[in-house]
Amino acid sequence: MNKNFILYAVILIFGLAAPFLFPAFKVQLSILCVLIVLATTWNIQGGEMGYNSFGNILFYGLGMYLCASVQVGMFFPLAEWTESGGEKTFVHTPTQFFQGMAVGLVVAAIVPTIVAGLIGYSILGLRGHYFAICTLGLGVAAGEISGGIEIIGAGQGFTTPPFPNVGSLEARGEFFYFLSFFTLVLTFIAVRSIYSTRFKLILNAIRDNEDKAEAMGIETMKYKIIGWMISAFFCGLAGGIMGGLVGYIDSTDVAFDGREMGVFMVLMAILGGKGTLWGPIIGATIFHIFKEGFWTFFLGWQYVALGVLIVVIVIYFPEGIMGWLREKYPERFGEVVDEKDRKAQVELK
Amino acid sequence: MRLNRIILSFVSALVILFSTSVASFAKVVGDKIILGAAISLTGKYSSNGVHTQNGYNMAVDRINSMGGIKVGGKTYKFDIIYYDDESNPKRAAQLAERLISQDGVEFMLGPYSSGLTKAIAPVTEKYGVPMVEANGASRSLFTKGYKYLFAVLAPANLYLDVAIETAVELNGGKPVRIAQAFEQDAFSQDVRLGILDAAERTGSKIIIDDKLPKELNDMAATLVKVKQMKPDVLVVSGHTKGALTAIRQIAEMKVDVPMLAMTHCDAAKLSKQHGKNSQYALCASQWHKSLTYKDDFFKDGMTYAADFEKEFGYDPPYQSAESSAALLVFKDAFERANSFDQKKVRDALAATNMQTFYGNIKFAPGGQNVDKPMVLFQVMCDASGSCENKVVAPLKWASAKLIHPIPKWSER
Repeated sequence: MNKNFILYAVILIFGLAAPFLFPAFKVQLSILCVLIVLATTWNIQGGEMGYNSFGNILFYGLGMYLCASVQVGMFFPLAEWTESGGEKTFVHTPTQFFQGMAVGLVVAAIVPTIVAGLIGYSILGLRGHYFAICTLGLGVAAGEISGGIEIIGAGQGFTTPPFPNVGSLEARGEFFYFLSFFTLVLTFIAVRSIYSTRFKLILNAIRDNEDKAEAMGIETMKYKIIGWMISAFFCGLAGGIMGGLVGYIDSTDVAFDGREMGVFMVLMAILGGKGTLWGPIIGATIFHIFKEGFWTFFLGWQYVALGVLIVVIVIYFPEGIMGWLREKYPERFGEVVDEKDRKAQVELK
Repeated sequence: MRLNRIILSFVSALVILFSTSVASFAKVVGDKIILGAAISLTGKYSSNGVHTQNGYNMAVDRINSMGGIKVGGKTYKFDIIYYDDESNPKRAAQLAERLISQDGVEFMLGPYSSGLTKAIAPVTEKYGVPMVEANGASRSLFTKGYKYLFAVLAPANLYLDVAIETAVELNGGKPVRIAQAFEQDAFSQDVRLGILDAAERTGSKIIIDDKLPKELNDMAATLVKVKQMKPDVLVVSGHTKGALTAIRQIAEMKVDVPMLAMTHCDAAKLSKQHGKNSQYALCASQWHKSLTYKDDFFKDGMTYAADFEKEFGYDPPYQSAESSAALLVFKDAFERANSFDQKKVRDALAATNMQTFYGNIKFAPGGQNVDKPMVLFQVMCDASGSCENKVVAPLKWASAKLIHPIPKWSER
């Protein structure tokens, strides 16, 4: 416990100091936080529950549009804002900006949670590939539908309120960094405490054999929905922050970006090791650094590299980095290994 | 928990990695003025992204080889740092931030497309980085009061309203019936607004108003309606893919319409790719090689087109020409500012009043170029089947007369 405390303290201090240690990387670090949130929450479905969801991007995009709409709509007529392209015509005072953002983020977290509950009720009865394909459709449909809604800018896109002139040039970067870092910490605490309860065991039971779990008297549907709602809550928050950070929301390229974010969150969780607490975090970090590095130093090769990375993950780390470490050093993960048993297994093979 | 040690060492590895990777460039290194640009080298805008990049590179080489830029008695050369924005606004905004805060770039060139420019402009504006952009035409870019954004092109709503007016004129001044289909993106939607304005002005009626998905590759549903309703004008806009899809399907389905107005015909190399099928398409263009503007670097449009073809192997679309012009504008502004101070360069840019091979350039307070009209060209083919784009409007530069109405497919 003591050692754990030191570990968390170190990471927390590192997280708080990061924007000052690497001032030029604030945006990338903020995005990293968002990516970790997405990967960690995806892991609740994909890793712990065994339901490969491509639909979490729906909550992320919803959160993004909701946060920005509330932030604008609280003070100005939304339709006029989007029509004028926003900015300058209506200027938020600093108080309005932060108030709007705060209320926006609350809405961005709550509404997707409710939506997840409603959708979950109707589609979480699907299993395996059927569920995956169905959720894939959700994100695509949401992108196309939102691209036709005039009040949120439709195909023109939605310019989020510009950051007010408070403090130095660095203020915006620091604000969004701490916002996303705080969300990350919140997500981590929530997910970690969930994983230490019976809830996680139930999710694992669903993953390992849903019929058996049901036969044992577990109301699997209820837990599946609750799991998805938890993911939706944090995905919505992450989306709201990302909208403000990017400053421009496009229906299919920024908000319901299933092609990139939607796939990345799965990839990151698998790279790090799905079904573990730290796996998605490590996976997201490595993925982000790898991607940024290639994008910078080997322009034109980034997609080739990404392809190679996916192949390498699938072939050499099918269980992810954490899974691989666990197999290699099980004793470090607190698993007791019976040498005799291991030998016996080897002989059997 | 040994696991902690693994994670701790991972975190410290990260710290080391981050702290060693801060490699900062400055805006002016030695005799080089370093400009930054996020360009769509992959993704849905990749072909136009390459046109843009070729245009930039062509101008950089030309300006550098013809003596460079003279500031404060010293001669400098242009250099550009490129990143790939993957045709994604989120990525573009992030790259702008990176170019400015990590690479230390103090002057930017624009990306391709209005959507990406919309994503980048708030960033350059925040840092006070002057950006000359050549490919973001959406009107809403110029209504936000941006002070550091300068566009060498005419806004998107002006692209095709001339076509509507021409159609009305040819209809004996009577209103026409318009069918329109636009991609769901910032640029095309702005072209649509232009058409709506023109329709209102002329009392014309819009009978089909379709929105099409991004990465347009099927518009058969719209065309079926067009066949049924028989409009006087069909307007289509959806970047390169939109132009290609429209021509392909109109030819396949043998859709007869008296006037077909589009954008991006030259970027899509319609006359080469679809030959006779693309005949009679009327296209909005920022530039055409036959225009008679002149400057010292590229001489005129014809010379530019020939030089461009020699270097890159294809006829330059207007996206390349306007991109080259952006560099000429920067050069001119640096020399007049006689300084690398961002504010002074910005003021010099605002005072720009020059002629380039691409057209006259003079910026309105909103940042758009107000001194250069759009041109319309029509794809025309000779008997042997080789097709060419010929300017038909405005009359000042017209090298051919507009063919109207388009002959029916059964008569071709």
